Amino acid sequence: MSQPIVLGIETSCDETAIGIVQGRTLLANVIASSVEEHARFGGVVPEIASRAHLEAMMPSIEKALIDSKLSLADIDAVAVTAGPGLVGALLVGVASASGLALGLSKPLYGVNHLAAHVSVDFLAHDQPLEPTIALLVSGGHSSLLQVDDITQSITKLGATMDDAAGEAFDKIARVMKLGFPGGPAIDALAKGGNTTAINFPRGLTTTNDWETRPFDFSFSGLKTAVARYLESTPDYVKADVAASFQESVVDVLMLKAIAACKESGIDSLVIAGGVAANSRLRAVATQRCERAGIRLRIPSPALCTDNGAMVAALGSLMVAAGRSPSPMAFDADSGLPVTTVAL
Amino acid sequence: MSTSLVIDTSTNRTVVGVVTDGKLIWSGHRDGATAHGPSLPLLVTEAIAQHSIDQVIVGMGPGPFTGLRVGIAFAHTFARARNIEVIGVCSLDAIAAHIDEKDFIIATDARRKEWYWARYTKGIRIGDPAVSFPADVEKLGTTVHFGLFPDLISMTQLATQNTIAEPMYLRRPDAVATADRT
Repeated sequence: MSQPIVLGIETSCDETAIGIVQGRTLLANVIASSVEEHARFGGVVPEIASRAHLEAMMPSIEKALIDSKLSLADIDAVAVTAGPGLVGALLVGVASASGLALGLSKPLYGVNHLAAHVSVDFLAHDQPLEPTIALLVSGGHSSLLQVDDITQSITKLGATMDDAAGEAFDKIARVMKLGFPGGPAIDALAKGGNTTAINFPRGLTTTNDWETRPFDFSFSGLKTAVARYLESTPDYVKADVAASFQESVVDVLMLKAIAACKESGIDSLVIAGGVAANSRLRAVATQRCERAGIRLRIPSPALCTDNGAMVAALGSLMVAAGRSPSPMAFDADSGLPVTTVAL
Repeated sequence: MSTSLVIDTSTNRTVVGVVTDGKLIWSGHRDGATAHGPSLPLLVTEAIAQHSIDQVIVGMGPGPFTGLRVGIAFAHTFARARNIEVIGVCSLDAIAAHIDEKDFIIATDARRKEWYWARYTKGIRIGDPAVSFPADVEKLGTTVHFGLFPDLISMTQLATQNTIAEPMYLRRPDAVATADRT
């Protein structure tokens, strides 16, 4: 029997994304982004994102079917991001997915966005589902997770107490007038800068922090420090600021991720989320994991940012593990905890 | 013979019906201004259990955005899954069908102390639906019918006369460009 085909829908933020996966093979990954519509507002405007999701939904589904050379009749199950995310945006995806599942009379899996980010890694290899630590870093999330079983058991070790890592990139890019989103702009600018030019703070890394909240993050102090530096240093070197700021974020992320691996005794790390596309994070992670004897996996940059393939991937793993589908009716949950892998 | 699945989520009530040749053969609703997401699949599951559907008709508003989109998104994917047609109609027009008066206004809750409304003369809508403060609508001096829900049979009739392709939001998203901030 051939492996089941799962169509995944992701609309938690500003990407309308459809992925189709068969077993662990990626067949289609269509992403329509409304990012350009948000740029002049300096951040994602929920209502603009939600309207764009509705407009992009059917064309994205059609494109995914064309790319995969499938028809809807070939789909065995539908998966959708149920949360966390912007509630109005999530609801477009959930309503679309339930219409599709009911129309096709096929099971529906409402899955967790963060778990989906981690599960996209399983499209890259055929290894069994083994425990791993996951560092999830994006514009909306910065979490360290212990993943014992991606289909049902995830523990949150820590998360950001204020801004997400990607949000810090956006905010610094805004004060430096580099545009939105800030991640790629700072990454590019930092390549020509000195990472040690300015000694920006490393959030939550005092001895006391390591004792009380070893796996939590804080980026708001860093943001303030950069803003103050820019104000007090009129002739600052943009590339050095970008490189030094980026180094502070990357350094803290990797210090804590590796500490989590050591403490849990799990010698495997997956880094996912939009910030995992950052070239400096990828380079530092590779170096430090090699030194620490940790197997590192980072999805390709296209699969790090929000996408439908990751949702389809998690749905496919759920099907393969024999997990029950979600009830036919469920609500989007903007604050869905990562411990809830699926509804 | 044609059987329509009729859906409206433009008010605080999720309304679903099955209409065959002008007759309502199944209907159901669930109340809740933020409950359209879970309500709709429950109602549709019941609606389609006994009936084979040939087309989907959906209310395109005007209505509060988040709930409105649930109905439209669901209608489109459901129809595509069954390879059947989906047709949008104006939800206010379907409410107006309840009223047999020469001149009246249909209004629904637009939140923020405003109404979505349209005026009907001899059963025909005058102009486009609008969003306004109740006092400004009442000033027009004609009877206002508020708090009614779309009539399902009328929606199937509207689908043959006056179809609407885009959601009727009537408001722009709230957002100020960084350049315009003070």
